[in-house]
Amino acid sequence: MDKQHFLDTFRVTVPQMEQLTKTALKNGGDWSDLYFESTIYGDLLLKDGEVTSGGCHTDFGVGIRVLSGERTGYAYSENTAMKDMEAAAKAASLIASGDTGNRCNRHMTVRAGTCGRAIGSDLLYPESSAWENVRASELLPFLEKLQQKITGSDSRIVKVIARLSYSHSLIMMFNSEGELTCDSRPMGSVTASVIFSNGSRTENKTASRSFRSGAELLTGQILEEIAAEAVSGIDARFEARRPKGGRMPVVMGAGASGILLHEAMGHAFEADFNRKGQSVFSDRMGQKICDSSISIVDDGTIRANRGACSYDDEGIPGQKTYMVREGILNSYLHDRISAGWYGVSPTGNGRRESFRYNPVPRMRATYMESGTASPSDIIASVKKGIYVDEFSNGQVKIGEGDFTFYVKSGYMIENGRLSTPIKDINIIGNGPQALADIMCVGNDLKIDNGTWTCGKEQSVPVSCGIPTVLVKSLTVGGE
Amino acid sequence: MTMTENNGIQNAGERMSGPITAAEIETARFCITYGMSAGASQMRVSLSKSILDSFTVLNGRLDKVMHSADRSLFLYIFADGKYGTFSTNDFSETRLKEFISKALDTVKMLAPDQCRRLPAKERKTTEAVTGQELHLFDPGYLSLTPEAKLQKAMNSSIFKSLEPDSRYTVISEECEYSDSVDDNCVLDSEGFMGRHTETSFAICSEMTVQDASGRKTSGYWWDSSPFCNTLAIDGCSMTALSKAIEKIGPKRHRGGTFRMVVDRSVSSRLVSPLLSALNGAAIQQKNSFLDGSLGKNIFSERLTITDLATTSGKPGARLFDTEGTATSDRPVIKNGVVSMYFINTYIAEKTGLSPTIEGISRPVVAPFFPGSMSEGDADSCLSEEFEINLPRILKLCGSGIYVTGFNGGNCNPTTGDFSYGVEGFAFRDGKITHPIREMVVTGNMITLWNGILAAGTDARPCTRWQIPTLAFNAADFSA
Repeated sequence: MDKQHFLDTFRVTVPQMEQLTKTALKNGGDWSDLYFESTIYGDLLLKDGEVTSGGCHTDFGVGIRVLSGERTGYAYSENTAMKDMEAAAKAASLIASGDTGNRCNRHMTVRAGTCGRAIGSDLLYPESSAWENVRASELLPFLEKLQQKITGSDSRIVKVIARLSYSHSLIMMFNSEGELTCDSRPMGSVTASVIFSNGSRTENKTASRSFRSGAELLTGQILEEIAAEAVSGIDARFEARRPKGGRMPVVMGAGASGILLHEAMGHAFEADFNRKGQSVFSDRMGQKICDSSISIVDDGTIRANRGACSYDDEGIPGQKTYMVREGILNSYLHDRISAGWYGVSPTGNGRRESFRYNPVPRMRATYMESGTASPSDIIASVKKGIYVDEFSNGQVKIGEGDFTFYVKSGYMIENGRLSTPIKDINIIGNGPQALADIMCVGNDLKIDNGTWTCGKEQSVPVSCGIPTVLVKSLTVGGE
Repeated sequence: MTMTENNGIQNAGERMSGPITAAEIETARFCITYGMSAGASQMRVSLSKSILDSFTVLNGRLDKVMHSADRSLFLYIFADGKYGTFSTNDFSETRLKEFISKALDTVKMLAPDQCRRLPAKERKTTEAVTGQELHLFDPGYLSLTPEAKLQKAMNSSIFKSLEPDSRYTVISEECEYSDSVDDNCVLDSEGFMGRHTETSFAICSEMTVQDASGRKTSGYWWDSSPFCNTLAIDGCSMTALSKAIEKIGPKRHRGGTFRMVVDRSVSSRLVSPLLSALNGAAIQQKNSFLDGSLGKNIFSERLTITDLATTSGKPGARLFDTEGTATSDRPVIKNGVVSMYFINTYIAEKTGLSPTIEGISRPVVAPFFPGSMSEGDADSCLSEEFEINLPRILKLCGSGIYVTGFNGGNCNPTTGDFSYGVEGFAFRDGKITHPIREMVVTGNMITLWNGILAAGTDARPCTRWQIPTLAFNAADFSA
C-alpha cells in the first residue's frame, strides 16, 4: 500500500498533520507525534459442534502525544475532523505548560540513521489474503474441520470450543520532525479448548497458534498442529498429581518455557522501570549477570511472528535487541523517552495497545539463544526435581524481582528420568537469582507460537521461546 | 493552564445528565430501525460514552497528563435464528448503514441457534430511565477544573517532604489522580431502554524504597469513590510508603500447612474463582468445578455471599445487566448452599435452567467470627457493634501466614485446584513477626472455603466487591 492510501483512509493531508504537531507544541515541549489507527477485528466461535456466533468490530482514531523532557501529554480523538484533532492536540500540549524541566538528548531519538532500516511489512507480515476480503462462509469450514479432527481423536472428549479471531490494522504515524511512517498489520489466531471426562474426573486442555498473517494462515498443517496439541498428554493429565512443594531444580522444556524470560528478566529490562530506578536491574548495565553461555534477545524481526514489528508504535524500525549478550547485561528495551534519557538509540520497543494509549517500552519476541547441551542430558543430570513444559500466566514484581508462572503440566524428575506427571502448580523465584542459577542451556531453541499477550497496563501481542534449560533452584508449589 | 472545559455533559433542564446526547440515542435507535428493515428479527444496541482524565506525578513533579473520550455502539443482531455481535465507534449514518448491512450478511452465514433471543419483556428493568436512579453520578464532576485535578494529584505526593531515614532510601514515588464519567444506554427492538451513569474519582500511589542491602521493595495504596468529596487523598502515599517499608528484610519461611489470613485489599482473589465457576456458560460447557452444585451444601455453612446489586450510592451497584435484565439483591451462596448460577437468556434456553442474571454486580461476603455466635448462624454477627478486623482475626488464628498480596498463579476452572504466589508476613501469637519471601500457596477451592474460620466486617467501602479480611484453617505453603 502506498502512503496516499493511508492518507485517504484517515482523511488527512501532510500539511494538516504539520499543523497538528505545531498546535501540540504551542506551549513548548520537545516532540510531538500523531498515531492514526484504523482496525477491523473479526471473530468466529464454534461451540457444541457449530459456529453459532461471530462478529466484526471496527476502531478508528488518532492519538496525539507531546513530550517535554521525559514527561508525556496524551489525548486522542475518535475521528479525524480537524477541529476534534486540534482539541486533542491542545489537551496533550498541557504537559508543557510552564515547563522548566530538564531536557534529554532528544535528537538521539529521532535520527533515523541510528535506528536501522525497516524490513517492510510486506516481507515481515505475509498477507496474500487480507482478512477483510474473506467472507465468514469461507472461514467456517476451518473451525468445523478442527472440531471434527479433535473430537474424533479421543473418546473422552465432552466439549470442544474453537475460536478464530483476526484483525487488520492500518497505522500511520507522523511526528514533529516531519517523518511519515505507515504500516499494515494483520493478525490471525486460532484457539481450541477441550474438556475431557473419564467418568470420575474432568480435565481441560488448550492449544493455540497466532501469527501476524492474513487468512493464508489457515492451512491444513496449522489445523493438524492445533488438533494434535489439544489432545496430547491428556493421559498424563488424568494421572497427574501435585508434587511435594519446596525448592528444587527445575528443567524448563523448550518453547513455552520462554515465559521465564518474559517474567523474570524481560520486564525488568524494560527501560521505563530502569529510568525510574524501580527495576532490580536498574544499576547493572554492563555487568555480568549470568553465565557467559547465555544470550537473551528481544526480537521484532521474526517473519510472521506474533511479536514482529516492522515499525514500533513510535515509527522506529523493528530490530533484534540483545538484552544479555554472553552473560553481560547489554541493553534495556527502549522507547523514545528512555532512549533520550539514557542517550542511546531507540530499540523499537515503543508499543501500545491502540491509539487510546501512549507508547511505553514493551517486549516483542523474547527468547534465549541455543546452547550446546542435549535436552536428554540436561534431564539426566537432575537427581530429583521437576520438568515443566506447559504454562498459562505469569507475573513479576519489578522492584523485588520476584516472578511467578503457572505450570499446567510437567513431570517429576527422579534419578535423571521423567516419572510422575504433575499439573496445576505455581513456581516462584527471583529474577536476578534465577538468571544466575541457569546451569545448562540446551541446543533446541523453540519459539512458542501461542496467543501470548502481555498486560503491562495495556495489552500487546508478544511471543517467547527458549531452549531446554536447567535452573538450579526455584520454589515449586505443592502439597 | 487551560484544558477542554466542555466535558460534553448535557444540562437537561434542571437536572444534569451524563455525556450521551439525545442525538446519539437517536443514532442507536436508527441502528435498530435500519437493522430490522434490513433483515434482523431482533436487535439490541449498547451505546457507551466515557470521559477520563488522569494526572500522574513522579517524584513530586507532573509526569503525565492524559485525556480520554470514547464512544461506541455495540450491536447484538438476531436474524433467522442466527446471532452475531458487532461494534463501531463511527457514528456517521452512511457508514453505519454499510456496517449494519455487512453485519447482517455475516450473521446469515453462521449456523442457526434457536436459543438466541432477547430476554422476555417482564425480566427487563423499567426503573433505569435517567441513569441516575442509583445516585452514582456526582454533579460536582462538572465543576472540577483541570487545575483542581492537577492540584489533587500534586497534593497526593509526599516525595519532597520526606525526611532521610537510615533504614531505607526512597527510590521513586508515582501518584495518579484520575476521574471519569461513564454513561451507558441499552436499547432493543422490543422498545426497551435502560440507562446507567456513574462518576468515579480515584487516587493511587506506589512507593519504591531500597534498603541498606540494596534490595528494593514497593508498596501500593489507593482510594476511589463515586463522589469527589469522599475521596481520601491524604494519607494515600504515606500508606504506600508504610507498605513498602514493612516488606524490608523478608525471610524465607519454612513450608508447611498453616492458618492463612488474607488481607481485605486482596481477598477478592479467592472469591473470584467461586463466582466464575457459577457462570452459566462455564456450567453449560462443563468447565466448572461447581457444575451440579445448585441447591447443594458445597461449602462451610459459615460462608454466605450475597449480591447487593441495587444498593444506592455504592460502587458496583446497577439496575440491569448487559441484556437489560433487572438486577435484584439475592443470595449467591447462603450458609454454604449454592443458591444461584448466573444464567442469561441464551444459557437458560440451552440448559433448561431458569434465567437469573448475567453476572454478579456487588458481591458481599457476610461477616463471621467463631465464638461470637453459634456456628452456622451467619446472620447473627451482622450487628454493627461487633467489629471483626485484622488484629482480632490474627489473634483468633494465633500463628500462620498473613497474605497481603498475590503474585501470579491460577485456579483450574474445571477442578478448582489452585496455586498462587503470595507475599505477606508470618505471624505468631496474633502478632506479625517478619515479612516472607518466595512462597506459594496451593490447594483446592472447595477444600479451602470449607475451612473458613472468619470473615471480617472490614471490606473497603471503595470497592465494588465487598470482600473483607478472611481467615482459613489450613493451607499448604511451599517455600
